[in-house]
Amino acid sequence: MYERDGEILDNYLEADQLWSETSRPLPRARLGRAATAGLWALRVFAIVLSAMVIYVFFSQLGG
Amino acid sequence: MSGPASSPAARAPLAAPPPLSHEDEDRSADRSRVFAARRGNRRWLLLWLLLGPGILAMLGENDGPSMISYTTTGATYGLGAFLPFTLLTFAMAVVCQEMVMRVGAVTHRGYGELVLQRFGRLWGWFNAVDLVFTNVITLVAEFVAIRVGLAYFHLPAGVAAALGVVLVLYTISGGRYWRWERIVLGLAIFNGLFLVAALLTGPRWGAVGHALLTASPFPGGSLSTLLLLVASTVGATVTPWMIFFQQSASADKGLTPDDLRHGRYDTVAGAVLAALFGCGAMIAGAALATHNGAGIQGLAGAGFPGALSHVSGHAVGAIFALGLIEAGAVAVLTISASTGYAVGECIGAPHSMNYSARGAAVFYGANFGAAAIAAGIILIPGAPLLSIALNANVLATVLLPVALVFLIMLANDRMLMGRFANGRRHNVAAITIVAFVALCGTAYAVDAFLKAVHLV
Repeated sequence: MYERDGEILDNYLEADQLWSETSRPLPRARLGRAATAGLWALRVFAIVLSAMVIYVFFSQLGG
Repeated sequence: MSGPASSPAARAPLAAPPPLSHEDEDRSADRSRVFAARRGNRRWLLLWLLLGPGILAMLGENDGPSMISYTTTGATYGLGAFLPFTLLTFAMAVVCQEMVMRVGAVTHRGYGELVLQRFGRLWGWFNAVDLVFTNVITLVAEFVAIRVGLAYFHLPAGVAAALGVVLVLYTISGGRYWRWERIVLGLAIFNGLFLVAALLTGPRWGAVGHALLTASPFPGGSLSTLLLLVASTVGATVTPWMIFFQQSASADKGLTPDDLRHGRYDTVAGAVLAALFGCGAMIAGAALATHNGAGIQGLAGAGFPGALSHVSGHAVGAIFALGLIEAGAVAVLTISASTGYAVGECIGAPHSMNYSARGAAVFYGANFGAAAIAAGIILIPGAPLLSIALNANVLATVLLPVALVFLIMLANDRMLMGRFANGRRHNVAAITIVAFVALCGTAYAVDAFLKAVHLV
């Protein structure tokens, strides 16, 4: 229950939906070496491909 | 109301109930109507109340560059394998967005926030920077679409820039998620204009049926163009901003595990509508294929409304132009919102449409700022509009696998998701999608790069 504009209203939110709960940080997940290496490989892959796409875009503009 | 025990992310009960924030009060008011509809067994009202994030993500992604991409595909290859391929990409989008909705409803937190807190600041910021970068480029492409649409009615680029920025300001000015969602949903319905345009071009339904059933004829011609359009079509249906947006919007709307079934209806309904309207754009574009794409070179290659007007009449051109304005405008609203959510979540600042502008200055500032920067860029004369639109989608395709891998990790995180975590079939489907998207992006990027540096 809460008061708003002098009126007492029911709270329809779940406990873990309240701002006081969602603003509380979650614990860190443990990533193994393989998972970390995989994520870094994916990150490098994305950067390299993005650079290629951006290079192609600008080279097409120049051409 | 399901108790805290129904949600695996719930913490131990607090000794005394904490005071509700303004955001909580607004969300509770919205949820009270959901509870009343559920208690009264008013199914249609319940559906109406819970629809939103899924339809907006899907129709938001039927944006300017996507519709230009579908139309380009239709104009380049006519009706053929791309029609069923587009349906396949929407099926992929349903798998991904259902996971997004589920994680948002169960954890009540946004994607950016979860990646940052569970996997560390480095990965959180990488994802957020990827998103803001692709969002600004995509937003430029959205303003391009609005500009192309308005140009058909002889209105200048300045009007396109002003229209987009004013719309963003108007929709975020209410301080209520519900208001924002309903205004954008109202605008998004006009995505159906592409279907109307397709019907008015007098399509050959036999060819449409043949293409859908046999996935033929398979496109021929230049491999580079084919790879560009494949990557662009994938990027037209599943993108990083949709992941950020639907999860944050589901949490902001207040969805809970009790709402998962309706969240799935919302996601599937959005995909069906978006596929229908996307195929409409492709069918309209196919009307140009028989005329060798005559006339589409206007406005730096994106002059589809003019070309359709020339081939199928003024009404088709005008409806297509209005469709482009709608597609660009709705996407400006949803993509700038996803930027606001991502920045707010990563900085740890308040990030809800239920806050006033003063209460969530970072969230609203990022939301408005992204749109304003993109609006400024389209005012630069001589910009290659079609190239920007297609490459925005390709860039999204290239960066998507990273976002999807983190999404799959979150959806499998038992600490967060409990019994709502992914099952085996879900994981097989999701991993197949990641591999397919990565393959499409890599094929285009490598082929185009090798050609650009004259190695092939």
